[in-house]
Amino acid sequence: MSVNAGVVQGSGWLEQHRSKLYSAGILLAVVLGSIWALSIDSRFLYLLVYVWFGVTYGVLLQYGRFCMAAAVRDLFAVRVPRMAVGMMIAVGLYSLVASVVTLSGFSSFHPNALGWHILIGGLIFGFGFVFTGGCASGSLYKAGEGNLNSVLVIFSISFSQALVVTSGGWLDSFAPASWAESALTKGMPEELTVTQGWFDLFTAGYVWDLKGATLADMLGMGESTFGILFFNTFVNALLPVMIILVALYVFYARKGYLRKSGKTNPTFADELAGIWAMCTSSRNTALAGIGLGIFAGLHMWVTGVLREHYGIFNFGEMLSAMGYEQGLSIQGTVFDPGYWYITTQEAQWGGWVMDKLGIDMMDSIFFGLDNGLPNPLLNAPGFMSIGIILGAAILALARREFKWKIPTLETATFAILGGIFMGIGARLAMGCNIGAFFATVTNGDPSGWIFLLGMVGGGYVGVKVFTRWMDWKMAREGGCDL
Amino acid sequence: MRWLSWMFGLTDQHEPLLAREEDLPGIGRVRVSYVVDCMGAMCPRPQLLTMKILGLIGEGEVIEVISDNPAAVEAFPSLAETLYCTHLLTVRETDCWRLYLRKGAGA
Repeated sequence: MSVNAGVVQGSGWLEQHRSKLYSAGILLAVVLGSIWALSIDSRFLYLLVYVWFGVTYGVLLQYGRFCMAAAVRDLFAVRVPRMAVGMMIAVGLYSLVASVVTLSGFSSFHPNALGWHILIGGLIFGFGFVFTGGCASGSLYKAGEGNLNSVLVIFSISFSQALVVTSGGWLDSFAPASWAESALTKGMPEELTVTQGWFDLFTAGYVWDLKGATLADMLGMGESTFGILFFNTFVNALLPVMIILVALYVFYARKGYLRKSGKTNPTFADELAGIWAMCTSSRNTALAGIGLGIFAGLHMWVTGVLREHYGIFNFGEMLSAMGYEQGLSIQGTVFDPGYWYITTQEAQWGGWVMDKLGIDMMDSIFFGLDNGLPNPLLNAPGFMSIGIILGAAILALARREFKWKIPTLETATFAILGGIFMGIGARLAMGCNIGAFFATVTNGDPSGWIFLLGMVGGGYVGVKVFTRWMDWKMAREGGCDL
Repeated sequence: MRWLSWMFGLTDQHEPLLAREEDLPGIGRVRVSYVVDCMGAMCPRPQLLTMKILGLIGEGEVIEVISDNPAAVEAFPSLAETLYCTHLLTVRETDCWRLYLRKGAGA
């Protein structure tokens, strides 16, 4: 049960509605900005799709207080399955919409290469997000709520990734000689200096030798309707979701539910009712999960349709046709996943700033060959991230939940260090909890479940360290004033 | 309203030094044993602090949690279920929420 008390304390209409006016102001600014972009060139529609899906994700994330870091962390920290349930609902629905998009031929999905790096990246990423208080998208929507800790996290993720993908020197000694040999056989252009920089060696000498495929592709049924529906959607997404939901119920919710409902000899129907109660225990989170699943699927479809309409495979071609040549990769491409993604565009922000500071970023495979380094004003997925911040701000202001939160020394340190772990983890695993998990498992790529496994392991260790730190700090101070 | 801070050192004695009465809409008058002030705290800190306090108080006692973190507030009803306590009420203030939790199941 919840009540409102003292919400309206200010005097005068303006005072009472200030927050809502700011909310409407941001919405209006996004609308006007969109119109302005279209008036320059109607092809900016392609970029605006990212903006508006970003705004939608932001609204839904804020509405459900949806955070995938909490999904993993809360299982160990406080034994609460609320967010894990919300995440599974989103995965289930995304997979259903994704199957329709794939069958209609508009899927823009690319499977991740399957290998040990995904598990290790997931571990590091999962360890990091316990300390930042949010995953990559979680930090974006919390930044939209006025949380400056989360802004620090975003900065930290951006720059740590940019450093990871371009740094060389002594770090290169971590790369086995076999990677260098393998990398040299790939016939990469001279300017990439493929044998310099450990991430280049890792990408060209290790990841490129691995295979990535959807489950249906692996079984040779990637083209058949049955293969897509049964293996990609049912076996790779819906079945694991059901198993995980049952496991969450058995290990986390069952005892509490049976005690609360006073059932000592539960029948099968009682157990089903218990699972339902668990899934609906937080209405906001469940609804946000449904919304995120559907919109994430629709996003792929809309981008796919637009690509066909404009006859392009990548936004880079469009930028080039519009006369924006700067920041394109050697292949003339930029990062343009066509679906929900977070970390790569943030790496590009960090990389772009470092490039402007005179550090050569384009000699890396990550920027130079694959993703380019576009001006942030022309970075389409970057606008999706900004859209998430704005969408969350719009709803948070409308609900009067916006509040500037200034970091303390402790939370700022955690935000920056945690962000560095997340940045390193995300690059090793080729994505974050969105790109490497949410978008993959729902499109038939089993590598995402390995990333989840890593995240769960890293989250477990992170929670242990975090609670140790809290205990130590409380014991030392003999009190607590947060 | 009076915001009370919680002192870790006092809790072992279990003397409800900070107790006060509060009239909760729809619930009636309850005696609040402790106030967990989580203003400005990020997840999972509010949840962990609350868990610690709930471990220290007796069955049937009520605590108040103050938080300005929307995500943490959303998590408390399910947290209550896990911790064998009852989520009585969430009160929305201008810049925070006040949550009331009673240790032990049942109304």
